[in-house]
This record gives sequence, C-alpha cells and structure tokens, in this order.
Amino acid sequence: MSVPDYMQCAEDHQTLLVVVQPVGVVSEENFFRIYKRICSVSQISVRDSQRVLYIRYRHHYPPENNEWGDFQTHRKVVGLVTITDCCSAKDWPQTFEKFHMQKEIYGSTLYDSRLFVFGLQGEIAEQPRTDVAFYPSYEDCPGVEKRVEDFIESLFIVLESKRLDRATDKSGDKVPLLCVPFEKKDFVGLDTDSRHYKKRCQGRMRKHVGDLCLQAGMLQDSLVHYHMAVELLRAVNDFLWLGAALEGLCSASVIYHYPGGTGGKNGARRCPGGSLPAEAANRHRPGAQEVLIDPGALTTNGINPDTSAEIGRAKNCLSPEDIIDKYKEAISYYGKYKNAGVIELEACVKAVRVLAIQKRSMEASEFLQNAVYINLRQLSEEEKIQRYSVLSELYELIGFRRKSAFFKRVAAMQCVAPSIAEPGWRACYKLLLETLPGYSLSLDPQDFSKGTHRGWAAVQMRLLHELVYASRRMGNPALSVRHLSFLLQTMLDFLSDQEKKDVTQSLESYTSKCPGTMELITLPDGLSLPPVPLTKLPIVRHVKLLNLPASLRPQKMKSLLGQNVSAKSPFIYSPIIAHSRGEERSKKIDFQWVQGDVCEVQLMVYNPMPFELRVENMGLLTSGVEFESLPAALSLPAESGLYPVTLVGVPQTTGTISVNGYHTTVFGVFSDCLLDNLPGIKNNGSTVEVIPALPRLQISTSLPRSAHSLQPASGDEISTHVSVQLYNGETQQLVIKLENIGVEPLEKLEVTSKVLTSKEKLYGDFLSWKLEEALAQFPLQPGQVATLTVNIQVKLDFSCQENLLQDLSDDGISVSGFPLCSPFRQVVRPRVESKGANPPEGSKPGDPSHTKALEAILNFKYSGGPGHVEGYYRELSLGLRVEVEPSVFFTRVSTLPATSTRQCHLLLDVFNSTEHELSLSARGNEELILHAGECQRMAIQVDKFNFESFPESPGEKGQFATPKQLEEQRQEARGLEINSKLGIRWRIISFHGRGSRCPCSGFLTMEGTHEGSSAHKPHSNAPCNSPGSSVHCLALPVHWSLTPGR
Amino acid sequence: MAVCVAVIAKENYPLYIRSVPTENELKFHYMVHTSLDVVDEKISAMGKALVDQRELYLGLLYPTEDYKVYGYVTNSKVKFVMVVDSSNTALRDNEIRSMFRKLHNSYTDVMCNPFYNPGDRIQSRAFDSMVTSMMIQVC
Repeated sequence: MSVPDYMQCAEDHQTLLVVVQPVGVVSEENFFRIYKRICSVSQISVRDSQRVLYIRYRHHYPPENNEWGDFQTHRKVVGLVTITDCCSAKDWPQTFEKFHMQKEIYGSTLYDSRLFVFGLQGEIAEQPRTDVAFYPSYEDCPGVEKRVEDFIESLFIVLESKRLDRATDKSGDKVPLLCVPFEKKDFVGLDTDSRHYKKRCQGRMRKHVGDLCLQAGMLQDSLVHYHMAVELLRAVNDFLWLGAALEGLCSASVIYHYPGGTGGKNGARRCPGGSLPAEAANRHRPGAQEVLIDPGALTTNGINPDTSAEIGRAKNCLSPEDIIDKYKEAISYYGKYKNAGVIELEACVKAVRVLAIQKRSMEASEFLQNAVYINLRQLSEEEKIQRYSVLSELYELIGFRRKSAFFKRVAAMQCVAPSIAEPGWRACYKLLLETLPGYSLSLDPQDFSKGTHRGWAAVQMRLLHELVYASRRMGNPALSVRHLSFLLQTMLDFLSDQEKKDVTQSLESYTSKCPGTMELITLPDGLSLPPVPLTKLPIVRHVKLLNLPASLRPQKMKSLLGQNVSAKSPFIYSPIIAHSRGEERSKKIDFQWVQGDVCEVQLMVYNPMPFELRVENMGLLTSGVEFESLPAALSLPAESGLYPVTLVGVPQTTGTISVNGYHTTVFGVFSDCLLDNLPGIKNNGSTVEVIPALPRLQISTSLPRSAHSLQPASGDEISTHVSVQLYNGETQQLVIKLENIGVEPLEKLEVTSKVLTSKEKLYGDFLSWKLEEALAQFPLQPGQVATLTVNIQVKLDFSCQENLLQDLSDDGISVSGFPLCSPFRQVVRPRVESKGANPPEGSKPGDPSHTKALEAILNFKYSGGPGHVEGYYRELSLGLRVEVEPSVFFTRVSTLPATSTRQCHLLLDVFNSTEHELSLSARGNEELILHAGECQRMAIQVDKFNFESFPESPGEKGQFATPKQLEEQRQEARGLEINSKLGIRWRIISFHGRGSRCPCSGFLTMEGTHEGSSAHKPHSNAPCNSPGSSVHCLALPVHWSLTPGR
Repeated sequence: MAVCVAVIAKENYPLYIRSVPTENELKFHYMVHTSLDVVDEKISAMGKALVDQRELYLGLLYPTEDYKVYGYVTNSKVKFVMVVDSSNTALRDNEIRSMFRKLHNSYTDVMCNPFYNPGDRIQSRAFDSMVTSMMIQVC
C-alpha cells in the first residue's frame, strides 16, 4: 500500500467502497455526469432495520490499496459500477467481456458489480439482467439512482451475511489468520497450533468483525468488538493490528461523538434526520444484542447480563480526550512498521481532523509535525504537491495560517520543480496566491498607504518575486507587471540599492511588451488585482495650485454692497456661518482660474531611487471641469532633494475644478496617483473656481522697456515697464498699442493712472489721454490692435535745487517775507540744509544728480466675452518711469511800469541749464536764443489785472480743506491764470529736426499770488529771498511766485 | 549557541531578526514566521491566566530536523523567538530560559531609550552586541 488518501477522515471507516469506472471509450464529460448522479446516492437506510449504510465512491483506486482490505475493511473495494458506451448489438459481447476483465482487477474483494450500458437499444437491452442496466443515452437515464440503490442493498446483504458469519464464529473453531500483504512471508512455517497464534487469529478476526459492524451501521457492536480486539491483540503484542483496532475504536467513537463529521465538506449528509448520538445508539440496539450474547467474546466490557446494557455501551465509547490518546497510541504502533507508512499518515490526518473539531490546535500540530516526517517511498512530484497541499489545508484547519502558507508555498514550488518536465506555472501561481493571507499580504496598495509598512518584508518580498516570476512564465506579462509594480511600490523601503536597480530593470523590460495600466486585473478564479499607482516614484511632498500671473488674474467687479452676505443670512455676522465658511475655505482656494487659460499646479517631488528617474507623461487629474492636461516629462537626479515641478493644463469649461491627483508614466507603468491616498502630503486646498473666458490684452509701447522695476505700494504687479527721459516742462506722447491676443473679443477698457507717491510737487496733468479714440475701435476682435496715445507732461519744481535765484531788491523793489509763502519755505528749507554738502555752484547743469524721477502706473482694466457677462475683468499695469532733467529757470523776476498804465513790463532773468541751445518765447512772438548755461533777461509786457476779480475755487472742495490747503489751491489757480496769460515756451533748437521732442512742448509756467486790493500798491509783497527757496517775486501789479508750474 | 534571534512586535511583525549563517537568512525568516502560529496558539491557550503569575517562557515551540525553536512572550505581547541547533544537546531548558531573560532585559533597555520609537525596528548597538554574544557563546 503506497498511495495515501489524504482526504480520509474517521467517518470513512463506516463506509463501503464502491469503484465507478468507465470501460471502453466513454467521454469524460459523460462519465462524470453519471458519476455525479451515482455519488448522490451516498447513504441508504436499509429496508427493515434502522441502520444506515454509507457509500464512498471512487473513480480511481489503486488495486494495491485494495490488498489492505482485510486490515481495514473500508479500504476494500466491495462494489464496482462500470459505465460503458455501446452503440450496436455486435459490440455487446466485447463490451461485456471488458466488464468482466474490469471485475477481475478487484475480483477478490468484490461483493457485487453492475454494468451501466448507454446507447444500446434492441433485443439485448430487452433482456432483464440483474448486473447490467441499459440506458438509451446519457441524458435519458432516469433510473440510475434507483439502480444504484438496489445495488447497494445487494451489497448490504453480502455484508450482513459476512458479518453474521464472522461474528458467530465460535472460539473453538479454527479462525483463519488475516494479514496484510507484507506480513505474509513472516508467517510461513509458524506454529499454527500455539495459543499465541490462535489468540492472534482471534484478535485480528475480532477487529475485522468490528470493521464490518461499523460498516453495517452497528456502531455499538463495533465498539464492543474493537474493545475485545484490543485486549486480545495487546496480549500477543501484535502491534500493527492493535493499532488498527485502536484506530477502529477511535473512528467509531468519533462517529458517535461528532455526527456532523470531521471531513468538513461532506458533513451535511452525515446526520440526515438530525438525530442525536444517543438516539443513533439506540437504533443500533438490535444488532448489538446479537454480539453481546456471544459468550467467548466478552471479557471486559458490557458483559453484565441484565442490568443496563446501555451503561455498558456508553462506556465502550471513548471520551474525546481518550480518542486522541488512542490515536496517539495507534500511530506509535503503526510507526513500528515501515510498510505501514501510509496507514500511519492517514491516521495522523484523521486525528488532526478530529483535533481540529475539538479545537486543540497544539496537539493537532504535533500530529501534523509527525506526519511531515513520515517517510514514504520515493514520492512522485505530483504526490509531493498533493502532500504539501494537504498539509497546508490541515494547518489552515487548525488555524495555523502561517504554517499553512509555508506548505502551500512549498507545494507551489514543487509544481515547477526542475525535475518536472512540464512545469505547472499556472498551478504554482494559483497556489502562491493562496499563500498571500498567510503572509498577511494583500495585493491592494491602499492597505499599505497608512504609514510605514510593517510586516515580514523579507518573506513577503520573496513571495512577490515568486509571483512575478510565475506570472511571467505563465505567459501573462500584465500580471507580472502588476506584481512587480506592487513590489516596487510597497517594498521600496526594504529594497537594497542593487535590488532597486534590478527590479526597475526587469519592470522596464516587462513593460516594453505590456505597459502597466490602471485597470483592475481580474483573475479567472475571481481574485481581482487592484491597480498599483507608483506614488513613490517620485514621491510628492507638496501640491500647490498656483494663481494666474497678475496680468491675467480675473477680478470681480464690485457688486452691490453686502450682496453675498444678504443672500445667505439676514444677519450681518453670525458665528455659525463664519465657522462653516471656514471649513469650506479649507479646501477651496480664494482665487479663480479662467476658462481657456493655462493654469499651473506646482508639485514638490523627490526621487528616492539611487539612479536617475525619468518620469514621463506627468499630468494632472481633475474633476468637475473639462480639463485639458498638458503632460510634462521630467528627469530627476538620483536621490534628489525636493524638486519643484509645474504641471499645466487648460480648463475647457467653467465650474468648480478640483485637482484630485496626477498621473505619471514611470518605467512604462501608468499610474494615477490620487492625492487623498498619498501619505504625508502637504496640500492647501485643491478646489478652484473656473470662471468664463476673458480676453487677453497685450500692450506694447513706443518707449523702450526699462530694466528698472517699480515697487508698487500694495498688491499691484506690473507686467511691463517703460522709461523715458524728459526735460522739465516737456511733453511727450506715449503711443500704447493694445492688442487682443486672446480668443474672446475685448469689449470694455478702462484706463486709470496712479502717480506713485513722490516728494516732488507736480504741476499740471502728468498723464493725460483720450480714451475715446481707442474705444472707437472696440470691441476689439482677437488679433486686432488698438492704439492709445498718452501725453506725458512733466512740470516739476527744480528751483529749490538750483541756487540761482537772487532776490530782486536791487531793482528797487522791496521784497519782504510773505506769509503766504511760508508753507513753501518750510517744506523747502530743510531739504536745502540736508543738501548743504552739495555746493550749489559746483553742480553743473544737466548733471544727473539734478534729474528727478517720476513714476506712475497706468492701469488697464479690460473685459469681454462670457467673463464680462459674469462680471469679471482683468487688469494690466504699465509701469512708467520718467526722468526729468531741469531745463529753464527764472533766476529773477521784477516788474517795471509800462507806458500804458494798464500795462506793465515783466522782467525775467532766464537761465538755460541744459547743454543745448534753446529758444524761448513768450506770448508767441518774442523769441530769445539762449546758449547752454547762459542767463538772459527778457521783458514781457502784460496787462495788469487784479486777482480779486478772479473766481474762487469751487466751494465744495474748500469745505473739507484747511485754510492752508485752501490758500495753496488758490495760489495754484492764480498761477495757472498767469501762465495762460504769459504763455512762455521754450524749445531746444537742435532737436528741432528730430522731432523726438516736440519743439513747443516746453512750458514754462509762472505762478503768481496777489495780496491786497490794489494792483499798484508798491512794497506790499516780497519774494522769499532765502536761498534755495522758490522765488516769489513781486511785480507791480501782481505778486509773482515764480516756479515752474504745476 | 543560538543561530537565530528574533524580536516580534505585538502585531506580529519583526522588530529585530538576526541569524548567524547569513547566507540563508530567508530560511530563518520562514522558520520564525511559521513559529508564530504556535506562539499565538500558546498565548491564546494561556488565556485569562493571572497576568503576573503567567509564565513568560513558552518553551519549545517546535522542533525541525536541524533546529529547535523556542519562544518567550512578554507581558506586553512582544515575542522573542530563538532558534537553536538541535545537535547542541548540552543546552538545557534552564539555559534557554536565562538567555531569554537576558534578551528581555536588553529589550527593556532598548525601550527605555527615549529616542526609540516603539514599533520601529530595533537598531540599538547594545542590543545587537548582546545578541551577538548569545550567538557566539558556545558555537
């Protein structure tokens, strides 16, 4: 006996073994269809008695195992059912012959046999035969089950007769010696008349009867017989059979204690009526009594003649603890015989099943440990696989999942052992998958995303490597890619540098054939392998959504005050709302993206690999809005530090977009990495509103760009800077080209200017433009250009720097301090003192230190397209820097009475501080040529006038102004008045032809103030004569304050 | 004397594992891993035994052809597993016990280190050298 049946369990001792086999050519499908139907008849209540017969069917049974049938009768093939195809009557004799030959194989042990013939019709089929049944086809055979039942009943009759025959053997009769195949030669020449020999024969026979009783459904009787057998065999030290008797005892007790069965899957049929063990015992009483009266048998148990036979029988049965002890004993006896290895192994397996039910895992593991070391003859590879699988299953049964996994893995490796001609990679892979739970490994990368991996990394890695290899050999590269990327993703921390290299290299070679995808792979057996995004290649630490550049940032037009508040709640403030809003804000970012414009997300990534990592096709994963992602490719140096990567894309529709993650292709594996699943990522919001498309405006100017950038006070960012150099008083035109470079029409444009806070006092309009001209070309279609001309006019007060003004008292005009001028002086004086280090005379005209800079920002607010409808606009800023050089100064001012009393002469000493020759004109006619650095006096005849007649500045302004401001305003207004009367202009002659500076653009403005009612009142006013201050000179009719005008 | 020493966390993952024939490390990994079944079983069998009276030493977990595997479990369910060459018959139960006690003391020292994060792999040099001493002693 060499082939162990690992599926055996204790209950199998009570079954009758029937072999069902095909004869001739029967298709497997048809055979198993009939086999299944036959198998359904697995237990039968025998006619009149209440006993139940259990049948075990096998379609394959090694004849050498059959030889052990005397040792344990359930190993004996007692029935044979043969299934055959027979189409014509002429094949029939041949078929029948085959049936007989088949019978020969198990001939010695068969009680009965049957032949099921399919396909044959006609007169042969008409003949009624007991051992042959005819069916027209495999589909049309309704009587199969009935036929099998009849067959089993006939088996029962034989069994019962045998049992009775043996049981009633008198002790005086000659009892034949039963023996197992390997014993036969040992007994040659033995004295058959010795007491010892007789006892041995009796013991073995008793044990045999016990087996038969058990099979015949007489549990109690079998127990009694087994007990007797144990006594007899123990006395003669017949260990092999003693072991068998003990095992029989155990089996019977197990059947008694565990009617549900120990085998697991076939347990349901064991207890048909739900009868309790006690009832089952009662049922067997009739049979039991027969044995109990047997006088020679009863030496120990249950012999009490009349008193409760019940108690005696209950005692016969072993307690659950005893079962294990007896099993142990039996196995130790089996262990003495090398040839009984299979019996020992099967006994171990049976004991383990019993222990598993008793939940005594430790002892079960000892039995299994023993089973592992039972050395059978050289096993075939297939048997080895089977053996390891069964060991694994048994370990699983007792809850030793790790051990189970270990053996399953060994079995898997056995499937592909080098000695096997055709390695079963598929089976190997399947078995390996089954080991996963034992190694606490799930193939879902999500389970590994929580913090550091904790487990048996070395063992798990080995398993994953084996999975990769097996799946590759199976010819399923998609699977191996999946497993390999899983290995890389989850075990990265445990891989050595060399291993990282090897793994990635093999991954690359696999993906070249079959790129890794993000699809769920479902295996035929239902297991599904979730996709493995390689979130650690590279590791992303920080995700930040970037605002649009300042010039493209959309702004919301100011809506009615409190509109959004009133929509939500009638209360101006509620802590509840504030709270909920705070939560919203935590994910939502307070800037907007614009449909159709490129948006950016910045990731901080690093490469944990010891070599350069190439990430291809890296793009954003978004939801909520149709988004066109523009993937990037990057190459990260080995073990890089944090590395910024900007991913871009264009939202195609409007709404709320949330950035859920990013996708990459690394080593040919596509990964969709969701931010939610990434551990340790810093993310300040990933949801942004996308507003409708807006036009884009590009501006270009006639002036050169400037490297000098303005530092605006707050918030504004300036896209373009231009600079220009002008002489004081000069006017220059700045031509701004406005081009719509977007795709939406530009409908609205607003231009505002802001002069950056400067200490300089600025006179007149610095920047002026006529928007109407530009607006006339609106709406500006994409690609169209509009122009806007901005006049730059600089009028600054340079006088304080130039100590050129002298007081005019030598002209006989009395000059005295003028209170109204005091603000000027006060402002000016400290500046002069601070500049004291600068010797006035040393400073040459045109020296750069004399230039003053003016800075202004031109703001273009524009809108159009759908974004305009939604109330958004964009702002573009142009920074303008104007460097102003001094041009013409008035160094002295005085008046002379003219011939007409209504007029007077205004005398001006004019100084040219430029390096060019310039001409000066007043009131459009009197032209004066001034060379560089030259000072000349010019006289202008002007009408006298009285400031009293001059209208006051608008009252409403004055209401808010302090008297001082009021006075300044008035002073300015008067200055303008005088300017307009005098109309003094200069131009640089050499620039005339160039036209770059408008010859008439220079304005020299004079500002006058007047005190007193009479225009003729002499000595009434005085210029401030302190050096460095602006000069207020007194003319006869008016009091002049001569400053380059505002 | 010991060929492999392992410290296993409460959640049954290794905190420390070292074996002497380094070339076949994986074998010992498997051995220790499967021994956890027995440890689990023994712990659950002890059940609700009084905590302070419980025997920490679990005894022989299982013998293999070449090795014997012994176990020890602390009150905080940290397991120590030691694999010993089965040819070394001089080794008595008492000696195994004392080795485990030494191991436990050293482990306690590791845990006392304020910079050690419970649950991380043990990288203490003192612990390592103690294990080394246990491994060399006889063989």
